[in-house]
Amino acid sequence: MGAPLLELNGVGFAYPASPGHRERPFRLHDLSFAIAPGEIVGVIGPNSAGKTTLIRLLTRVLAPTAGEIVLEGRPLARWSQAELARRIAVVPQGVLPRFPFTVGELVLMGRYPHAPDRYFENPADLAAAREAMAATGVLELAALPLDSLSGGERQRAVVARALAQEPRLLILDEPTAHLDLRYQAESAALLRRLNRERGVTVLLVSHDLNLAGEICDRLLLMADGRLVAAGAPEAVLEESLLGAVFACEVTVEKSATTRRPVVQLTWRVDSPNAGAAASPTANQRR
Amino acid sequence: MTRPALAVALALALALPATAFTVRDMLGRGVTLAGPPARIVSLVPSVTEILYAIGAEDRLVGVTDFCDYPPAARQKASVGGMVNPNLEAIVALTPDLVIATTEGNREETFAQLERLGIPTYLVAAHHVSDVTGLITRLGGLTGRQTAGDALRARLEQRIEAVRTTVQAFRRPRVLYVLWPEPLIVPGRGSLVAELIGLAGGESITAAAGDAYPRYSLEAAVARAPEVILLANHGSNTGPIERERWQRLTDLPAIKTGRLHQMDGNLLHRYGPRVVDGLEQLARAIHPEAFR
Amino acid sequence: MSPAARLMTVLGVLAAILVLAGAAALFVGSAAISPRAVVSAVTGRAAPESVESVVTLSIRLPRILVAMLAGGALAVAGVAFQGLTRNPLAEPSVLGISGGAAFGVVIGQSVGFGPGVLEAAGLTVFAFAGALLAAGAVYLIAAAGRGFQIQTLLLAGVIVGIFFASAITVVISLLDFNRLGGVIHWLLGNLAPIPRGSLALFAGLAALGFWLVLTRARELNLLALGEESAQQLGVNAERLKLAIFIGAALLTASVVAFAGPIGFVGLIVPHALRMVLGPDNRLLVPASLVGGGAFLLLADTLARNIVAPAELSVGVITSFCGAPFFVYLLRTRYRASL
Repeated sequence: MGAPLLELNGVGFAYPASPGHRERPFRLHDLSFAIAPGEIVGVIGPNSAGKTTLIRLLTRVLAPTAGEIVLEGRPLARWSQAELARRIAVVPQGVLPRFPFTVGELVLMGRYPHAPDRYFENPADLAAAREAMAATGVLELAALPLDSLSGGERQRAVVARALAQEPRLLILDEPTAHLDLRYQAESAALLRRLNRERGVTVLLVSHDLNLAGEICDRLLLMADGRLVAAGAPEAVLEESLLGAVFACEVTVEKSATTRRPVVQLTWRVDSPNAGAAASPTANQRR
Repeated sequence: MTRPALAVALALALALPATAFTVRDMLGRGVTLAGPPARIVSLVPSVTEILYAIGAEDRLVGVTDFCDYPPAARQKASVGGMVNPNLEAIVALTPDLVIATTEGNREETFAQLERLGIPTYLVAAHHVSDVTGLITRLGGLTGRQTAGDALRARLEQRIEAVRTTVQAFRRPRVLYVLWPEPLIVPGRGSLVAELIGLAGGESITAAAGDAYPRYSLEAAVARAPEVILLANHGSNTGPIERERWQRLTDLPAIKTGRLHQMDGNLLHRYGPRVVDGLEQLARAIHPEAFR
Repeated sequence: MSPAARLMTVLGVLAAILVLAGAAALFVGSAAISPRAVVSAVTGRAAPESVESVVTLSIRLPRILVAMLAGGALAVAGVAFQGLTRNPLAEPSVLGISGGAAFGVVIGQSVGFGPGVLEAAGLTVFAFAGALLAAGAVYLIAAAGRGFQIQTLLLAGVIVGIFFASAITVVISLLDFNRLGGVIHWLLGNLAPIPRGSLALFAGLAALGFWLVLTRARELNLLALGEESAQQLGVNAERLKLAIFIGAALLTASVVAFAGPIGFVGLIVPHALRMVLGPDNRLLVPASLVGGGAFLLLADTLARNIVAPAELSVGVITSFCGAPFFVYLLRTRYRASL
């Protein structure tokens, strides 16, 4: 690995205890890992493992209470928010409620960090936005209101917005969680393409183990605020490890077509301990 | 002003065209005019009445929509309501004086007129003596001093007549209903309370609060009024209103059938007809004195 | 057409309407003044004490300027509150601030300044005090806990507004009969000419509020992405929310202080402009300033003249426009819902 793009050294975080909330505030403990430029890294783990908190630390919405985060060799704390936004772009989870703008207007919002003082975007901004929309295949939809698009198209528009920031690192928080199957496949292909063709480093946070296993070069498995395992998908997606972390029984097979690990949940529908009904995908849900 | 002094003042005013004509209004403000006012806008119905009564209506160029007495006043140009008179209409009449009251016109209006350079003469009457005083003032202001003094004298005579007629009689407890819902009554220092006193009655709400406060029906009933007077405002009080009071059969006033209507226009405007109102009050409170 | 070009076009059209309406309003009124007389008054050829000069320059002109300023300020405050709360129903009066200012004025009027001592400034101070009190209360309620919560903002505004409305009712019920007419007249929302000094102060305060909102119009757009996403793009969300709130509160307070409580402008004008310009605040804010001014000016001119010499309250006209406008909005279900 050459100079890492992003490094976490012993990073810890604790939410300040507030009255009325649970007695043990959530903590992240001693996270250390590095992300090399050009990688696709997946962060997986059960809910409340700390994945979203991790994203917030990387975008400086939260500040670590221990340890240090280093981006391109410079501590994160020394970056301005606008500078940071020119390096790291986040595709957030979920659907934007009541969003009245068009696709084009949405994507242009991604240009804000490049010149926050400008009132209107300039031709360079427009060109970058067009480019980003072309890359995700939503250029023809530019004049349409975001709310009128299908789930998959909307996802691509949001990714275009992130791309318009011209980031080196693209973080996606549960990108396929609310998408139809076909759009999940499209999404995965898009991410791969962006990574291979444009050299965008991708950090993918997902509870979809198979998506992560399929497209990621490396996986980081988190549980209870700690990094439990890191490495190639074949190493991390291991039956006993997953079973321990997710507290259920899984089997892992190697796909005949892609040679990637495929995780299968062992359904126990007839046993009294069967959990809530799960979706047909091999996603584990709590 | 005494007559010789007035003659001197007039002579001076004529001789020195630039001399100002300064008077003090009822709030003590100095009002400076170029000369005796010849184009007056009255924003107060009672002032309009007085101006007509002393024969100064030729100097009156503008009135409000509420200036309905005497009927001839309705022929004068109207500048709108008392609360919201139309500034443009006032200015278009090129008045040299506007007469207004702090009880019914807004301070904002005086301020506006001041900014527009139109002198404003403010009046306020809380006592019967203020009413007669106002007549004298307006007489002096409009050069109708004699007529004003004569009117004042006549009115004071009539007031005295009423006072002496009723003074021998016991004072019944009187409830005067200015407004039925919410119940509004004449309180401390109000003109109506004073008139009731002059008419030989004792207003049960005399200590209720200043001017015209709200009053609870229970408190009124608890005081067992012997005479109840309902004020009309323009039109007759409806039968519903009378019935409401008729139902309180325990009240002395109802038992003896002493529920009367009063013409509000006579009693609520501090103009010359206040004395008509006084006489009406006296007849209602002491019918036995006027047989 | 680029957004900048679209903005210039719309601004041009609105400004033309504004100027024409303003000029036309100089010629209509209760005093019958010939057009030639009006022109001579405006060009300074008429004597300063002449009826046409006094009416045109001291009554009509200041009132026209107040209407333009108040309308623009209310419309911009409406855009700001709608963007801040992401709620299409947010408007200056919903946020409780005009209620606080109205309460201040009612207190001031019931205390009753002596005539002549009362300049517009006296009541203005009371109005501002009330507005600050309300804005402070809303802010404190909405800011309980971490940062300034937008979700609580509307609720806080409604609570504060209800409180002050009740307070006003209490004061009214205790008021001297004679003062009642004046207070109620003020509460209906009437524009009146104000002295030059007050006008300048009004303009200055409104300019400050406008500047606070205009310079953050782009960031206000980004707020639609959600506070966290906006933050990740480099927007300081806390400071943005505070600046917008203060700017909009300042605009609202100055309108109520100098012109009285006038409703619906902050709702109608932004929504109407959204139908033409779309949801981009960078276009809406400047357009609302001009469009709001034109709208209130037209409404006031109508109110002044439709039943001359009596005058309708301008609030009556704006409400009459407001109700059918919103029926229309609901029927067409246009996409400007924020």
